[in-house]
Amino acid sequence: MDKIICLGKNYLEHAHEMREETPDKPVLFIKPPSVLIEPKENGSVLLPWGRGAIHHECEVVFKLYKKNIIGLGLGLDLTLRDLQKTLKEKGHPWEISKTFKNSAIVTPIKGLRDFPKDWQDTPFSLRINGELRQEGCLSQARMKADEIIHYINEFFPLQDGDLVFTGTPKGVGPLQVGDVVELTYGPISHSFRLVDLG
Amino acid sequence: MAQFHIRFGWWILDRRQLSHDILNYIERLRVMHDLAREQDYSVIKKEELLSDLAETVRLLEAKLKDLAQ
Repeated sequence: MDKIICLGKNYLEHAHEMREETPDKPVLFIKPPSVLIEPKENGSVLLPWGRGAIHHECEVVFKLYKKNIIGLGLGLDLTLRDLQKTLKEKGHPWEISKTFKNSAIVTPIKGLRDFPKDWQDTPFSLRINGELRQEGCLSQARMKADEIIHYINEFFPLQDGDLVFTGTPKGVGPLQVGDVVELTYGPISHSFRLVDLG
Repeated sequence: MAQFHIRFGWWILDRRQLSHDILNYIERLRVMHDLAREQDYSVIKKEELLSDLAETVRLLEAKLKDLAQ
């Protein structure tokens, strides 16, 4: 994989909960493949807890081939929120708040054929320790699948195998050591636990 | 001397681009492998996949030969 392309502020309600201005189009940023983790079912994910609040952002993930969406997954785009806030206040780039080890978590990718035809209307959800934290569907986003690919392609050379994190709905919040995370989307139901990097 | 440095710099950049292209072809093959393993031809049809496979292997061989020289 060449890169992970992420959309920010693709869901208006999330932009509002962040109390930030909503740009005309979603924000784009990139995570390197080295921060990606695909945890096994009931596996563990190590995170750097000593660097301030780590927030979850649950997102539909595309896998691309020849600029086509060939598979879908559900991901967590993790953010060092305190660091990001500080950097934003100073007007600095905030990439480092998004690019720590294991900051892009994704379920196993399933082929499009495994999803309902109306997969953009299919709900996805994030539960932490059994409690519903985030839910939504891609059709609620400002930019839908085809438009997202077209938009990204204006700015980045798309390579086969690239992943796209499509933005998060409202409900982002902090994670804790020991949290059990459950991601559900169509045929996907995947759980793992967050542990300390030490 | 300056001309040598410029030419050496271009040679390094060319080889980096070659490596980049090769790794992208390998990644493309990995995606093709996953589609073939799952026999998932819902987006990319089987004939298209096989055609892409032949083309990618041809390109990969050519680039690897260039890199090895």
